[in-house]
Amino acid sequence: MDQVVDLYLNEPATRKRWESFLSKLDLHNFSEREIKVIDHTLGLLDEDGKLVGTGSIAGNVLKYIGVCNEGVTAGARFNKIVTALQQYLFNERIFHSFVYTKLKYSSSFQHLGFTELAHTDQAAFLESGTPNVEDYLAELPKIADQANKKVAGIVMNANPFTLGHRHLVEVASQKNDLVYVFVVATDRSLFNSQERLQLVKQGLRDLPNVVVTSSADYMVSSATFPAYFLKSPEDLIKTQTTIDARVFKQVIAPKLSITSRFLGEEPKSYTTNLYNETLKQELEPAIAVKIIPRLQVNSEVVTATQVRQEIKTGNLEAIKSFVPGSTFEFIKENLAELQRRIKEGMNINGN
Amino acid sequence: MEIKTTGVAGTLESSDIQIMISKGSNGIELDLDSEVKKAYGDQITKVITETLQKFGLENAKVKATDKGALDCVIKARTLAAAQRATETSDEPELEVL
Repeated sequence: MDQVVDLYLNEPATRKRWESFLSKLDLHNFSEREIKVIDHTLGLLDEDGKLVGTGSIAGNVLKYIGVCNEGVTAGARFNKIVTALQQYLFNERIFHSFVYTKLKYSSSFQHLGFTELAHTDQAAFLESGTPNVEDYLAELPKIADQANKKVAGIVMNANPFTLGHRHLVEVASQKNDLVYVFVVATDRSLFNSQERLQLVKQGLRDLPNVVVTSSADYMVSSATFPAYFLKSPEDLIKTQTTIDARVFKQVIAPKLSITSRFLGEEPKSYTTNLYNETLKQELEPAIAVKIIPRLQVNSEVVTATQVRQEIKTGNLEAIKSFVPGSTFEFIKENLAELQRRIKEGMNINGN
Repeated sequence: MEIKTTGVAGTLESSDIQIMISKGSNGIELDLDSEVKKAYGDQITKVITETLQKFGLENAKVKATDKGALDCVIKARTLAAAQRATETSDEPELEVL
């Protein structure tokens, strides 16, 4: 009978054994970036104490799952390790989990009650448990006869919310009956998710046909992207953005009758620009992609990156013309805290 | 009986069933996943629903992933998940079985 054990990857011998086992199964990305987000790793030992299976947890994402099926019923070990991982999550009171996997393993996960949200010819993205995407969509506010109305969607990180963001929403709001603004939930930015959501809500309070909500784990959620089975960064971006676009097109948009997606023009960020291109390729023609030129104030393009730079140097006057009053007040009140976060190593040059 | 949290019982291994119960407002909403659904889906649904009703749950979302469990296992897993969801595990209501 196989036995489930805890593996501690910080022990060099364990780490080596684990890596060599996964390498044999054709998993090769053991970069620190991927390993350091792992919360816990389990192993499956056979009667001779040989490692025959493993799986890891990072947040609510299952990662690095591999089993050896030599001499046993196919699937038995896989089911055992996935059960053990879920048990670990349940003990942590996490009842909703995700997995990014090679397409060929998607059906194995579906046999265990996972639902596929999207796939490309290489990767698949699945979820399990509750509350799932159906629950998430059911909770969102709707309007009467929404199916016959013009509905648009915007996804933004808003780190922090600027007049540029507001301009994008205003344009969408004028051209549509209803606009959903999904604020990125992943917490990897200078302004945390709660602050970003709050500032977007405050900054758009006067627009009656705009609904502001969290993007949850379903839109631009970098936490759910373990890239270990892909070779180069560009592959990685391409797959991630394709999956993201397909989840939006196939799962999110139909339920909310969204027929267009508004984006800010992206001359500066390489990744975001690639993302915009993928969205255009994937969403059209079913969903119209509208790319809106950036707002300029005093012939300067308004960007949140610029605002973060000014926070770093404490130049509040320079921020004033870039952000709505609510964002400005927040920055003024929390300047010391924000600067402390930057000092402690928060990257402010990314998204 | 009121659901306070999400409750899970059972595994995904052969001959077992995993039951996850969470808050619902629309009767017993069961989502059943089973390789033998064609032959035994109705029976499994009946066992789960009856067990929950006996336990006193009227509204719940139930996700069941079956791997060929026998009725006695289904009942036991359903009861365990229901007690965890209602946070009453310390007073097992075994008469439900």
